[in-house]
Amino acid sequence: MEKLLISNSPHIRSNSTTKRIMIDVCIALLPAFLMGIVYFGPMCILIVGLAVLSAVLAEFCYKLIMKKPMRVILKEFDYTSVVTGLLLGLNLHSTVAWYLPILGSAFAIIVVKMIFGGTGKNFVNPALAGRIFLFISFSAIMANGWATTSIRNIGGVSLTTGATALGSVLKGNFDKIPSNLDLFLGTGIAGCIGETCKAALLLGGIYLLVRRVIDWKPVIYILVTGLWTVVIKGFDFNYFLPSILSGGLFLGAIFMATDYVTCPNTKIGTYIYYVLLGVITAWLRVRTGGEVVSFVIFVMNLCVPLIDRFVVPKPFGYQKPEKKKSEKGGN
Amino acid sequence: MKVKAKDLLLDGILRQNPVLKLVLGTCPTLALTTAAMNGVGMGLAVTFVLICSNVIISALRNIIPSKVRIPAYILIIATFVTILRMVLNKFLPSIATALGSYLPLIVVNCLILGRAEAFASKNPVLDSAVDGLGMGLGFMLSLTLMGAFREILGTGCIFGVELWSFKIEFFTHQAGALFTFAIFIAVFVGISNLISSMRAKKMIKEYSDKNNEVKEEIA
Repeated sequence: MEKLLISNSPHIRSNSTTKRIMIDVCIALLPAFLMGIVYFGPMCILIVGLAVLSAVLAEFCYKLIMKKPMRVILKEFDYTSVVTGLLLGLNLHSTVAWYLPILGSAFAIIVVKMIFGGTGKNFVNPALAGRIFLFISFSAIMANGWATTSIRNIGGVSLTTGATALGSVLKGNFDKIPSNLDLFLGTGIAGCIGETCKAALLLGGIYLLVRRVIDWKPVIYILVTGLWTVVIKGFDFNYFLPSILSGGLFLGAIFMATDYVTCPNTKIGTYIYYVLLGVITAWLRVRTGGEVVSFVIFVMNLCVPLIDRFVVPKPFGYQKPEKKKSEKGGN
Repeated sequence: MKVKAKDLLLDGILRQNPVLKLVLGTCPTLALTTAAMNGVGMGLAVTFVLICSNVIISALRNIIPSKVRIPAYILIIATFVTILRMVLNKFLPSIATALGSYLPLIVVNCLILGRAEAFASKNPVLDSAVDGLGMGLGFMLSLTLMGAFREILGTGCIFGVELWSFKIEFFTHQAGALFTFAIFIAVFVGISNLISSMRAKKMIKEYSDKNNEVKEEIA
């Protein structure tokens, strides 16, 4: 027997549940993950696996401590922690110490998500907060030791502590940066597991677009970042493609900035959000000479309530009140 | 109303802990808890100023006109802070440099001014001194504990002695200070709620036992 549900009409039943959306996001992240394994070797499986496992375990432990019965926990499990763990794992490099993904996932799930009320109540993207926590906690491990990939030596990892591709782009060393095609495919590029292969990320993004999990608006973020970098650099369009193809912009724009919970509710608000993201990212990138996408998304996530407060949507059928002059004209 | 000295001490150290319960003096709490030693130094400094200013303010409580009481309190507190600074600069310069600008800022520490306003201006000299001691010790205890927590996690040391090389630098940053503060308040409130609920249960049990005895007697 089904339960009798009483609510206001009209009713449209759709199978678009949190669970389904989160599974879609996981599927969309798979190409980037696979390319990460191809480029950086099997250590990636360990790192991403540890991140996912500890994220799920952290959620279960928290709920068990909160005295929820196991049956309820299993029923409530909606794969959001899997997505968080996956994103966090893809945001680390393949050479980090084993305890980094565990600590980051535990921080992301327990502090950022569960303490603030669980799924849909997190004030910033948990995976981002986890990454930033790791970044400021283990700055030596996180900022150095980038692994460079090489298509000629698949799976072989060589460590570089020098400038990343993005750093070279921002300094204007055009002879040092790889070609745009290399940047797009991620061949021979230093970076995190999931961020180097833009083609795979784009594939995942298109999948999410087709499944209507996200819309086209993150493109604004990517384009504005590129354009604003061009503007800052004195309208030198050589900067456009390298600046959007290097660093973690695609990963951030497609998978992190689009988090439902930390996006503005209105259409205009969303435009403001993405444009500001792009402008601040480009500006800070040039100023600091490093990758700032995660920090900028973090800050803009915190600004979302502010945007929602000041961008008030027009109610359906709303008309502007007529001016007093016309009222008087009737008399 | 006569309040026992033991109660006053316990109030300061545990029940009305200035940092975790009254949330006073948060500025030095957030800034100085990077190391356990800072907590001890700051705690002792505040305890000294608190006891002295409480005694003087309490002794002068009937003389100070209520309209100008805050400037008068500040004057008294500033006197002791100046003495303390001179003594520390002369004999313990390392602690003086570690506390930095937070030492002169004790003058406007709301913990000291708050106790002067809330307690010393209404109570006799001896009680005020005991209250100052309790509050100061409570301040020192919580600062030292928070400092130790942040020092162990952030630098892998305790009182400057290295325990291990593993460190989470997050806890040495300002964000870590706020995070640690929140955790400590949460744990403190959790424990105090647990104790009060246990006491309530005990009281209910005693009450019902007594009731049963009375019923048996009647029967």
